[in-house]
Amino acid sequence: MADRTEFLESIRHRTRRGRYKPTKSPDSVWTPGIDRPEREEIEDPQARFIEELEALGGHGKRTENLEEAREYVLDLAREREAELLVRWDVEYLDELGADEPLRDAGVEVALWHDVPDLRQIAGRADIGLSTATWAIAETGSLVLEHGPGRGRSVTLLPPTYVAILPADRVLQTVPEAIRQYAGGTLPANVCFHTGPSRSGDIEMSLVVGMHGPGDVHVVLVG
Amino acid sequence: METSKPARRRDTEDHRREGLESKVEGFNERGRKAVRDRKLHDSISLFTNKTLTGRNAQLRAHPDAPELRERAYRTKQETMANLDYYLSQMADAIEERGGNVFFADDGEDVVRYVGDLARRRGAKILTKSKSMATEEIELNRRLEENYDDLELEIVETDLGEWIAQLAGETPSHIVGPILHMNKERITEILSGVSDEDLPPDVESLAAFARKRLREKFVNADIGITGANFGVAETGTICTVTNEGNARLVTSVPPVHVVVMGIEKVIPKFEDLSTFVQLLSRSGTGQKITVYTNFITGPRGEGELDGAEEFHLILMDNGRSKLLGTEYEEALYCIRCGSCLNVCPVYRQTGGHAYGSTYSGPIGAVITPLLKGDREAKDLPYASSLCGACTETCPVGIPLHDLLLKLRNRQVEEGLAGRAESLMFKGFERTMKSPAAYKAGAKVGRLAQKPLVKDGSIRGAPGMRGWTDFRELAPLAEKSFRELWKEGI
Repeated sequence: MADRTEFLESIRHRTRRGRYKPTKSPDSVWTPGIDRPEREEIEDPQARFIEELEALGGHGKRTENLEEAREYVLDLAREREAELLVRWDVEYLDELGADEPLRDAGVEVALWHDVPDLRQIAGRADIGLSTATWAIAETGSLVLEHGPGRGRSVTLLPPTYVAILPADRVLQTVPEAIRQYAGGTLPANVCFHTGPSRSGDIEMSLVVGMHGPGDVHVVLVG
Repeated sequence: METSKPARRRDTEDHRREGLESKVEGFNERGRKAVRDRKLHDSISLFTNKTLTGRNAQLRAHPDAPELRERAYRTKQETMANLDYYLSQMADAIEERGGNVFFADDGEDVVRYVGDLARRRGAKILTKSKSMATEEIELNRRLEENYDDLELEIVETDLGEWIAQLAGETPSHIVGPILHMNKERITEILSGVSDEDLPPDVESLAAFARKRLREKFVNADIGITGANFGVAETGTICTVTNEGNARLVTSVPPVHVVVMGIEKVIPKFEDLSTFVQLLSRSGTGQKITVYTNFITGPRGEGELDGAEEFHLILMDNGRSKLLGTEYEEALYCIRCGSCLNVCPVYRQTGGHAYGSTYSGPIGAVITPLLKGDREAKDLPYASSLCGACTETCPVGIPLHDLLLKLRNRQVEEGLAGRAESLMFKGFERTMKSPAAYKAGAKVGRLAQKPLVKDGSIRGAPGMRGWTDFRELAPLAEKSFRELWKEGI
């Protein structure tokens, strides 16, 4: 068993002793440098987000208000013939007000808070519903911050996953999204989630919905 | 000396004397078989061509690609120069978040730590997401053997990695573990663990795997992952997957163990920006993978999923030997697999020929460095030195330079074989003296006669390694000097 002090001291010794200095920087001849494209500002981040998400096989929708977003969720539950929906226990989704209409339509709604068999419920659910802290236009990604009421399993176990968030939460690029967390304290889990789960391990053929949801929807509100 | 080709066995021994065959690895033997395997070539081309096309398109479309590469190189250089500081900072950050940190000198340390943990937790099912570091130390096999009383069920959850596990094979590519298998073979393997014969279509096969693995995911006691990157400043572990298996492995079981090579640490969270952009583009030709996941310690207060217990194992296993040496750049690798995809040798032989966890150019560099020159003697020669690896590497590792340095090191250590060093000594002496040069040329012209066939020399005794796969131009009948004297 290695002792921390010894372990680090040995590394320290090695980095200091007869330090080899590479004299050159990486080869400047690198194919991608040729015909370099112009850096572009994304003019309509919401439209770009939807475009990128759909290119990956996800579904994106921009609505005027929360009522329209609620309709989207109701329609989706009907289309997928859902029996159970599990959702994050957060204010924004309370405001969405989809629980009652869903129950009226015969869909059981479970909230992600302390109840027994929570994992079982998420495992049985047909649809997972959450919000997201940010979205990223250039890649069609969601930035999910997990915490109390904001379970990871909700976005992972059900075959269909819907995220609803305000349209002004769409950032331009991945570096911009990463910068949101630079230097600060991070939640125990942050995930950049981009489109349906997929695998190409068998003869490079695309399999959608490998372990996570294969049916992914994002509604941008406002 | 015989000139006709001797029996196979002799052939092997000859090569060994010339320093081209390693005792354990035997790359040349396996490679020779692999280059004749047409099915294997089809599988390799399918994967590498598709991945490279995507990679080229994505990096060409990125306005800052060359700067990203430069920055990645500089960041790694800085990190390695102060590795003790960054590892210590990362350990502190994780402990502050309530995680445990363990420093492992080698694979044995890792096995003991995980095994003892499994015993303490009374664990039965361990789910794993694809990790090269645990492949390197054969964690699964050693846990099953050394802790057989626990009757652990260790399940790989990446689709390809699971199929490889079922087949009892090792991954043949860092990114595409079973790219060497075709659908028929996969159907055979999966049908073997199913109650029924599965139809040979991708959807059915994946559906079967999904169902089987889902049972394991939700019942697992411990989840084990590697780390694509570890952030010193925050203690964050970054994993990138497309299937979502790493996320399931870290979200559902109550315990999460990370096995991370010490070289995977980067200083700041913001540095992820550089590396995530390069890795997804180079590895799979994607702008970003489906799940780019950041885990910082155990689940927080009031959280209902995610691991309650978090363990980070920082593993050395020979890596620190390279620090401060001319081989240090080999530690910059982010395991994207690009150098494998472009390598003319890898594309002919596939990954298994290398006989090592890491194949392709980066494997040929780090295997001798981690395992020893003697053990992996062939590997520095498993390259045409065309430099495609160096050109494609997203973090700027001078791979073919390192391969040359390793060859040089073998010669200095006397591993290159007597015949070769005698030959070069003789060559040196001859070239230094005009008289010897003249005499040597005369002797050479006579000696080469029985070897020249169709204007070139192949399979010359004592020079097999040089001439079996290459054509040596014979000496001309008259030298330039002689022709000049005769008035050309």
